[in-house]
Amino acid sequence: MKKLMTNFIHWNANHRAIPLILFLLLTSNFITAQVKVSGIVSDDKGLSIPGANISVVGSKMSSSTDFDGKYTIDVPANSSISVSFIGYVTQTLNVKNGGTINVVLKLSAEDLREVLVNVGYRSQKRKDVTGAISSVTAKDFADSPQISMDQMLQGRAAGVQVTNNSGQPGASASVRIRGISSLSGTNEPLYIIDGIPVSGDATNQATGGNIVSGYLGANTGNVSTSPLSLINPNDIETYDILKDASATAIYGSRAANGVIIVTTKRGKKGTGKFAYDSFLSIQNVTSLLDTMSLSQYAVQQNALAEYYGVGPRDEFAVPSVLGAGTNWQDEIYKTAIMENHQLSFSGSKDGTSYYISGGYADQQGIVVGSAFKRYTFKTNVDSKVKNWLSVGVSIGAGITNEDITINGSSNGIISTSILSTPDVAVRNLDGSYAGPPEDASLGVWINPVASALMNTNNLIKKNFSGNFYSIFKLAKGLEYRFDFGGSTDISNFEGFQPTYAWGSAVRDINQLQERSNTSYNLNIKNVLTYKFSTGVHNFNFLAGQEAYDSHWFGNSQSVSGLLSNDVHSINLGDQDTLVASEYKGSSGLYSFFGTFNYDFNSRYTLQATMRADGSSNFGPGKRWGYFPSIAGTWNLSNEKFMKSTKEYIDNIKFRIGYGETGNQNIGGGAYLSNIRSIKSAMGNFFTADNIANPDLTWETGEQTNLGLEFTMFNSKLSANFDVYRKQTAGFLFTLPLPYYVTGLESYQGGLGAPRVNLGSLRNQGFEMALGYDNKFSNNFSWTSKVTFFMNRNELLSLQDNFDLTKDVMLNDYTNKAVTKTVVGQPIGQFYGYETVGIIRTNEQLANAPIPFTGNKAVKSQLGDVEYVDQNKDGLIDEKDLTFIGSPQPKFNYGFNNTFKYKNIDLGVMLQGSYGNKVMNLTRRAGTKNQRLYENQLAEAVDFWTPENTDAKYPRPDGADGHPNIAISDRYVEDGSYLRIQQVTLGYGLPSDILSKAGLSKLRFYLGVQNLYTFTKYTGYDPEVGSYNQDELLSGIDSGRYPTNRSFTFGMNIEF
Amino acid sequence: MKKYIINIKALVLFLTLGLGFASCSDEFLDRPSEDGYVSDQFYSSDEQVQRTTYGMYGKMWAPFYTKCFYALSELSSGNCLAYADGPELIQFKLTSDSFILSDPWRSCFGVVAQSNNLINTLESSAGANVSPAVIKNTIAEAHFFRAISYFYLVRLFGPVPIIEDNLALAKNPMVNTNRIEDVYKFIENDLKYAAANLKSKVRSRTAGDENIFVTQGSAESFLAKVYLYQKKYSDAKQMAEKVIASGEFDLLPNFADLFLTSKNNNHESIYSWQWSGGIGEYQGGNFSNVQYGLDILNDGVSYGATYIPSNDIQDAFEVGDVRRKESYLVYGDEYPNIKADGVVGFKVDKVKYPSLLDNTGAAVKKYVVGQVTGETGPVDNWGGMNNCNYIMRYADLLLIHAEAVMAGANETTDAAAKESYNKVRRRAGLEELGLNVPLTKSALFKERRVEFAFEGEFWYDLGRLPRAEAIEIVSKQDRGFDSDGVKHYTPVETDFIFPKPEIDLRKNPKLKEAPVPYVFK
Repeated sequence: MKKLMTNFIHWNANHRAIPLILFLLLTSNFITAQVKVSGIVSDDKGLSIPGANISVVGSKMSSSTDFDGKYTIDVPANSSISVSFIGYVTQTLNVKNGGTINVVLKLSAEDLREVLVNVGYRSQKRKDVTGAISSVTAKDFADSPQISMDQMLQGRAAGVQVTNNSGQPGASASVRIRGISSLSGTNEPLYIIDGIPVSGDATNQATGGNIVSGYLGANTGNVSTSPLSLINPNDIETYDILKDASATAIYGSRAANGVIIVTTKRGKKGTGKFAYDSFLSIQNVTSLLDTMSLSQYAVQQNALAEYYGVGPRDEFAVPSVLGAGTNWQDEIYKTAIMENHQLSFSGSKDGTSYYISGGYADQQGIVVGSAFKRYTFKTNVDSKVKNWLSVGVSIGAGITNEDITINGSSNGIISTSILSTPDVAVRNLDGSYAGPPEDASLGVWINPVASALMNTNNLIKKNFSGNFYSIFKLAKGLEYRFDFGGSTDISNFEGFQPTYAWGSAVRDINQLQERSNTSYNLNIKNVLTYKFSTGVHNFNFLAGQEAYDSHWFGNSQSVSGLLSNDVHSINLGDQDTLVASEYKGSSGLYSFFGTFNYDFNSRYTLQATMRADGSSNFGPGKRWGYFPSIAGTWNLSNEKFMKSTKEYIDNIKFRIGYGETGNQNIGGGAYLSNIRSIKSAMGNFFTADNIANPDLTWETGEQTNLGLEFTMFNSKLSANFDVYRKQTAGFLFTLPLPYYVTGLESYQGGLGAPRVNLGSLRNQGFEMALGYDNKFSNNFSWTSKVTFFMNRNELLSLQDNFDLTKDVMLNDYTNKAVTKTVVGQPIGQFYGYETVGIIRTNEQLANAPIPFTGNKAVKSQLGDVEYVDQNKDGLIDEKDLTFIGSPQPKFNYGFNNTFKYKNIDLGVMLQGSYGNKVMNLTRRAGTKNQRLYENQLAEAVDFWTPENTDAKYPRPDGADGHPNIAISDRYVEDGSYLRIQQVTLGYGLPSDILSKAGLSKLRFYLGVQNLYTFTKYTGYDPEVGSYNQDELLSGIDSGRYPTNRSFTFGMNIEF
Repeated sequence: MKKYIINIKALVLFLTLGLGFASCSDEFLDRPSEDGYVSDQFYSSDEQVQRTTYGMYGKMWAPFYTKCFYALSELSSGNCLAYADGPELIQFKLTSDSFILSDPWRSCFGVVAQSNNLINTLESSAGANVSPAVIKNTIAEAHFFRAISYFYLVRLFGPVPIIEDNLALAKNPMVNTNRIEDVYKFIENDLKYAAANLKSKVRSRTAGDENIFVTQGSAESFLAKVYLYQKKYSDAKQMAEKVIASGEFDLLPNFADLFLTSKNNNHESIYSWQWSGGIGEYQGGNFSNVQYGLDILNDGVSYGATYIPSNDIQDAFEVGDVRRKESYLVYGDEYPNIKADGVVGFKVDKVKYPSLLDNTGAAVKKYVVGQVTGETGPVDNWGGMNNCNYIMRYADLLLIHAEAVMAGANETTDAAAKESYNKVRRRAGLEELGLNVPLTKSALFKERRVEFAFEGEFWYDLGRLPRAEAIEIVSKQDRGFDSDGVKHYTPVETDFIFPKPEIDLRKNPKLKEAPVPYVFK
């Protein structure tokens, strides 16, 4: 009776149920030979399973578990019950006299393979998939305290290389699926998020290349913020990563960089579920560079002054008494807190399922003045309206608010913190910010702390998106699906530079810059599918049409001379200084596509797809592109002769596929000859903006893929191997004409070089994923996944062998070429001089080649750097520049482990990169010894003098252009690393305790992200990524915002 | 056979939704620019056509003018010294990857590209409503600006590629450079075309916008200068005399007025670059107030006077020269109309500013207008202001005339030549040449240096001397700060031609090969 009461209490919310239960209880007494059975149904992890079905074998009697996994059923004596739940192996148990029978259901290995994979416009069972597709699911990346959904993929899928371009909260990552396929702005994949296409391109190439948070330029820093940071990764159920062209061709013109289909969580069968997930992280910088202390700096300044023949500074007369001074790195980095909360509700009832969530994330940056806040909302509803009609909708909203500190450039906060001098305090005694002394006529380093905290760079982004679908069953096997989706983005940026007087750095006039961008896109899809089967022959047809319409509008205003620094409004500035501009445009993509699938007896499958895309980015006659693909699989294990091996090998499948894809991700109008309007003292003037290229068309990619996958030993071991060759022809690029053809940049009045289909390149590689999943006892299990990925790329051809060098700004005004790409070589290799070493002897000096980098040869002196004279002409000039390293890794790898012991789980994830080089421009700036009034790294003290001939660094020279600091292999370092990316220790309360509390899950975890990195790299972090996602500027460390280390405490509650 | 049952309702929905949305029209894929013009429709009114050359009156030269213009001429020639942005020029150590080389290169070739576009296409693309006179004048302006570009290019870089069709070049850009003499001939042809087709107009004696535009007289003045550079003395003399006789230009009576913002585009200006601090964009304003002007003469920027007068140029000024105070300032100078340190009326006071002029005891005054006043107009965020800078003014033409008459001799007693020279001296408040005193080559050379000090001219004057003579002059200059003591740097012959920018050398190694003759059309 006590038990009965518990049930009553427990069900007290459900008043209607009470009479029913009473009735059942009472009636049961009148039926003879009935016994009562009750218990808890749980999974092998000890979590209770609500909604499991308990039926009496051979009768219609059945019951189901409540949300605590409890059941009660009356059964005839000596009968048996069957306990089942989707995804688990059904168990049948004999019942003799009733009583308590607790049931532990095992996950069905077979059903695991029945997991559906979204292959584009439809889903397939995993076993039927013909292409190279990796899936990453929520449980793989749970507990990662990361803001952006693209970061979650790092190290978790073979063939996908994710590099964080910056450690700034909300910054963009570079996601490369099987290498680089284009040299133009973006190599980011296409994301299809609940049916809505989202480009991963943070530089908005397709919508005119405008970045609200800044301008793309040589020294503007990493200003691109991730377009994916508006999505809450906690809402994501699965990523299906379409890698080879036989899989991606269905997305045609946008698929050249691969496609990632993101499916968010949806309501599951069973009673309603409430979940709360939360974590708190403490983040820190992992290491600081060793810069000079004040006394070291004074020694160095005295030495340099002597070298340059300048008088020493009086205050540095006795360096040893000066102490440490200001370490600017200590000042700009701080311990930062991140918190994240998410509430979600989901369930399914009467043919309608729902998922509703709200999330909040607040991440402070580890560099002062950077922060990120996000609010997200998500609703998914699916309903079966009639037996021939089901509908659903996905609605999402995200708002982010970011404070950005500009980094990754020579004048960013990070670079400045290295070069700012230790003789300047952060603040004066009166609390105001200090600055460089009046006589620092050379290096006026603006106080980086003041600059980070007092300048405003605030970006607010809002995204609202929705997709609605309806599926009509027209006839048996024939379905029609209609999708209508849309998305709108609103971004607002406010940049404010206050008036200040920080030492000799004075700004008398403040300035406010506001930029905004709004865009919307609409997407309509009509898809017909038809399938029929004649026993061994199974056919599947799909035909569809899609239209994508995108519009954008942006403007900017700036004004100077606001009367105070407090309130930032365009209204408050001097209206004579108001400058405004705008841009707008639209693009359209119209497509038809179809696939045909044929499966013979689950042994052979064949799939063919075709897509036709019309794009507004190209001129008449060049608009339509056609993208076919074909793929086949052979499921060896389903052959009769393999029956005997089934015991060991459950499933062997060979895959072969070929497909073509395209890239049209450039702004519109490049095929036209445009006129540009530019402001001048005489009013607007008009110039020819570009050289038109009416022949401009798609970049096309061809890819061949061979795959093998198998599972062994009852699916304990799984393996997946793919080799591929991917060839891109006619990649889109702005023709790299010499300046004497184009003159200036077009915004300055130059004649812009044409956009062309410049050349072809190839990526080939191998990827592997190995999984191991074993339960060693009832209490202990280990799940492990190893991913390995190697890619080699090579430029195959280039129109007229144009010179593809790429420059970066080394200080405010000096551009230097740092990479070069030539036919027959990998893309974006570092380019500079090879060094022999420092010239230390007269003999060496006599034989050293002579630098000819200006208009004459200037002999080296002792203590200068000797470069390798590649062409043996006795001179060092631009003909001696050569390749000095590649930023591309030889391979990447990831190693994920989850150990479970009773209720404790331990996750360890390692991730690494091998064989890539990094150009450390931060070290170059920190060791160049070219200027007074500029701090350096402590090691820079070891420079050559006649007394210090064994020095590590060459003799100092006062001119910025001196060849001693030319771009050379002196600055190229090994960027290989192995990172302990994540360690998580979790504890889930056992179900018997949980059920008392009315919970279905309560788990706590402690995690460390970026625990330790094994590397030889001397900068902050070898994971450098690319500069504003530019593939030709990869692996260049110019003061990148370092990735933090974080300690996380989190919990998950479900009931 | 199983019969399939068609669901009628679903079919109706399919037909309406599916087929309704599936119809595509070409219009969906035709997306003309929404925020700019396309060339086919653009050249449809006189004003639209006229505005195609406005950039060549200023803004397109900005990358050249900002820093590089003064660095290349004033630092190299020893008129100025600098701690930053160019000590390598003072010491003849400039490397080919310096922005100081690429920015002028880009500006000049940008003007060439846009000029070529107008020369090659304007006639055919202009609409019916555009008057032929406007088309003619615009094309003539394009020839004029192309000539100016090549004149700078050939003086800075020596042999350069002559480009007449950028569209063809884009298809095959790997060209050789052309011989210096061919570049000069090309410049001459362009200027002759411009002189024949530009509006002939007498400058208004009131300074103002209508004097901005170049005329037949402007082209002829440059033609005289280009003849002189080629030592075609009689052509130079004849052309200079023609301009003088036309009376279109004249000296401003008061030298100081030349550098007042309110006197922008006065009748001494033959061709000036136009700037405005009100544009509010980088490189929209004249940055001289920062490059030359002391911190206290600036608003909103915290570094000034990067380029300061060398002791050598200071010594070149004679006592009593009214140009001295307008060219550079020393302690004790007073500028009652200039605002400094927040106060109108600038006195260069040693007590108030004890270390203001520590480096060489002077700061450049020319083109420095001081903090914002009613006279100066607005300043932009980079310290850019409204004052124009001269590319050629009438004083230059007068001295060209004198030199052309001299025709390479060491002196002349020609009265007209002496009068041209004396006009410049007279305005400077200096002694004129007496009746029987000849005008010497060295006096003329010195006069040019002083008259155009800090205007971006002296280096080119050194460059047309015999190399040995120029090396002799330069090697004797004091190129040191007061704290360093006297410093001498001796250039070699090749230092008078700057290396071509490395970025283009890399793209086209043929630029380093010997120049080839140009095949004139």
